[in-house]
Amino acid sequence: MNSSNSLRKESDRHKSKSSLISILSRPEIGPIGVMILLFGMLGYFSIPASETTWNPFAGEGFNALGIRNNLRVISQLGIIALGAGLLIIAGEFDLSIGSMIGFAGACMAMILRWGFSIIIPYVYFDDGAHIEFYTLLHISDVSPILAIFITLCFTLTFGWIQGFIIVRSGLPSFIVTLGGLFFLRGLTEVSLRSFNHRPDQAKGATTVTEIPDIKNIINLPGYGEMEREAAKYLPDGDLLSIVKNLPSDVIYKITERLEYTFQRVAEAKTNLLIAKGVKPLEKALENAVASDNEYMIKTIQEKIENFKIDPVIPKSVTEIDIARAYIDSIGTSRPIADFFGGNILEPIFDWLYFPIDWNVNNFGNQFAPGLYSCVMIWVILSLVCYIVLSKTQVGNWIYSTGGNLSAAQANGVPTNKVKISLFIFSAFCATLFATCQVFEVNTSDAAKGNLKELEAIAAAVIGGIVMTGGFGTVLGIIVGAFIFGLAKEAFFYIPGVDGSFYRVFLGFVIIASALLNENIRKRIMGNI
Amino acid sequence: MVTNLIPLIETQDIVKKFGSFIALNGVSLKVYPGEVHALLGDNGAGKSTLIKALSGVHQPTSGKIIVEGKETKFNSPRDASEVGIGTVYQDLALNSLTSVTRNFFLGRELKFGKGPFGILKMNKMHGIAIEEMAKIGIKIEDPEQPVGTMSGGQRQTLAIARAIYFGAKVLILDEPTSALGQKQQMEVLKTIKKVQQLGNIAIILITHNEIHARLIADRYTFISLGEVIGSGTSKDLAGDDIRRLMAGGAEVGDLAKELA
Ligand SMILES: Nc1ncnc2c1ncn2[C@@H]1O[C@H](COP(=O)(O)OP(=O)(O)O)[C@@H](O)[C@H]1O
Ligand SMILES: [Mg+2]
Repeated sequence: MNSSNSLRKESDRHKSKSSLISILSRPEIGPIGVMILLFGMLGYFSIPASETTWNPFAGEGFNALGIRNNLRVISQLGIIALGAGLLIIAGEFDLSIGSMIGFAGACMAMILRWGFSIIIPYVYFDDGAHIEFYTLLHISDVSPILAIFITLCFTLTFGWIQGFIIVRSGLPSFIVTLGGLFFLRGLTEVSLRSFNHRPDQAKGATTVTEIPDIKNIINLPGYGEMEREAAKYLPDGDLLSIVKNLPSDVIYKITERLEYTFQRVAEAKTNLLIAKGVKPLEKALENAVASDNEYMIKTIQEKIENFKIDPVIPKSVTEIDIARAYIDSIGTSRPIADFFGGNILEPIFDWLYFPIDWNVNNFGNQFAPGLYSCVMIWVILSLVCYIVLSKTQVGNWIYSTGGNLSAAQANGVPTNKVKISLFIFSAFCATLFATCQVFEVNTSDAAKGNLKELEAIAAAVIGGIVMTGGFGTVLGIIVGAFIFGLAKEAFFYIPGVDGSFYRVFLGFVIIASALLNENIRKRIMGNI
Repeated sequence: MVTNLIPLIETQDIVKKFGSFIALNGVSLKVYPGEVHALLGDNGAGKSTLIKALSGVHQPTSGKIIVEGKETKFNSPRDASEVGIGTVYQDLALNSLTSVTRNFFLGRELKFGKGPFGILKMNKMHGIAIEEMAKIGIKIEDPEQPVGTMSGGQRQTLAIARAIYFGAKVLILDEPTSALGQKQQMEVLKTIKKVQQLGNIAIILITHNEIHARLIADRYTFISLGEVIGSGTSKDLAGDDIRRLMAGGAEVGDLAKELA
């Protein structure tokens, strides 16, 4: 026998991996590959057909408005995918997310529209037994923060009830939350119909409309609080007096920016007119080429080259314009509503328009005002989830609750509390989704959130979450949401392809990801 | 070994009934620090029931459990682990999908700040996990390695090291070698030997394997049909005795005749 230190040990069988290999064997690497592929598709297929550029980022899919809209879809899905994903890691499911979105949105919208009351029904015996109502409390003008808080009381309680039933009864979460799915959707429709049974609403509608645009309520000096649009259409005299009171450097800045905008609008108009005038000539040129009439070709070409049009003269900036631009620039006086339903990164998008000259639409105006707030909410929530899942004690509890329930219990992990908390968290994410939506569009509809629970689960699976629990990362869930959202857009931009193909593609990706995840899980469990 | 010490844990006349079924009928045994006490007996003899009584899973119908000279009652596994009884069950209570360190500290994570949202002291925990496992003979290269990728012997070591680190004075091992291959069985026996050499820990080892018992046990108790049918130190017992007692008292010689 050799000397003992040359003996092979068990640990020698684990090859030490180079850093590149260990990056490549991370569970998120597959999904990240798919995401890059979709980015490429989205960019490449959205390049206008006539252009021969090879830069995939030059296309329509990457204009400012495209980015704004795509990121909204992605981040809304991302918010609920975090709730769904963490719950799946702990070994449970929530099918009630979509209905919870509808319920939370309706609840919040109704409170904002009609106020909040606590009403106690009781039986009254004079002239025959009948039911009377005693109004214990009525708040007619509910602030956004209170509306959100009251809604959370309902939704989080419902999440707690679902979790409690599941851990106490041992029933599969599939069936309990399926019950929740029907229950909440029905409850939402019933309550919307009964509240809408009023003179001011179409009878029986399952929507809430005419909520004021709360995020755009501003405090106009000298006039108090009012909606921004109303302020912009005050009588001219009022607008002029507002400008009178502005400091000159503010007026200068606004004027500079307005002059730029009017200049760009005039240029865009000129270009449109030229295009309009040249188009018939180009048609004629085509015909001429087809009929091989060299003389005609030459004359038409000359005409096109010499085609001139008087450039449109930019509008001059009036004091009324300045007043309206100033009103646009006033910050909200309802920061909570703006936090959920407003825009973010507005200064950057302004800068991209002037002076950068990128964020411009076909008419010369600024294209996108900023990103939707839900993007920020998603980023914050993702960060919190990342820290909790991978850096805290709770994170270890979540993994072990889903990975090996009896082992977790034997080591003193409060697995029931972990599960119930995650059902509550899932309801919280659905409520965040609804809050962003309600404050953004100022309406609500009982059908909101339909099928979102399945999209959230799909995003989680695509991002490498194993359905049997115990395995997955927040980065994966983020990437999963990106893939889901991008797939929709990428297929939409492929010319001549039915946009619904994105579902075919996603179906394929979901199954492929699930197979890949299962393979990774088995490898770690030592079964391969 | 030092037998003049008081036993770390002692049972006196433990009776455990499941309805009308008498699983244990008055079992007494003494386990000393620094000793491996082998608990031997046929399937269904009551070994697991006995250790479940010792680790607080079952409450005995009658009889006493005495820990370091004091009579003690366990209402839950937590009570037992608080007085220093660490049980390593066959399934080891490990989560294969997470890392060595996360398993080592599962449920008892070191963290900055109070409350379950405290940030984990990952580096410190890595260091302790590596060190504690090295103490009983297994060198782990990568504390982030998922437990599922470890060998069965390494997993046993992890579970044992964890129990000791969190204050086990009595280590109960329920058939730790039964699911392992030859080489890994030896690894586990070496680990147990290392724990024995620490000197202050009493080990109760349940096994079916006579050879394993002979390799490391200092003292034996044989159980059959819920009763102790023999006990003694390794010096007192000859190989034939052990074999006969393990089979529940039947003569192996008789068996040889029957098979002939
Ligand atoms: N919870 C229980 N309820 C009823 N009978 C049990 C229970 N646990 C064990 N037994 C019975 O007690 C006897 C001893 O079992 P056990 O202690 O597991 O044996 P061993 O570990 O020695 O193989 C067996 O006959 C078993 O069926
Ligand atoms: Mg047993």
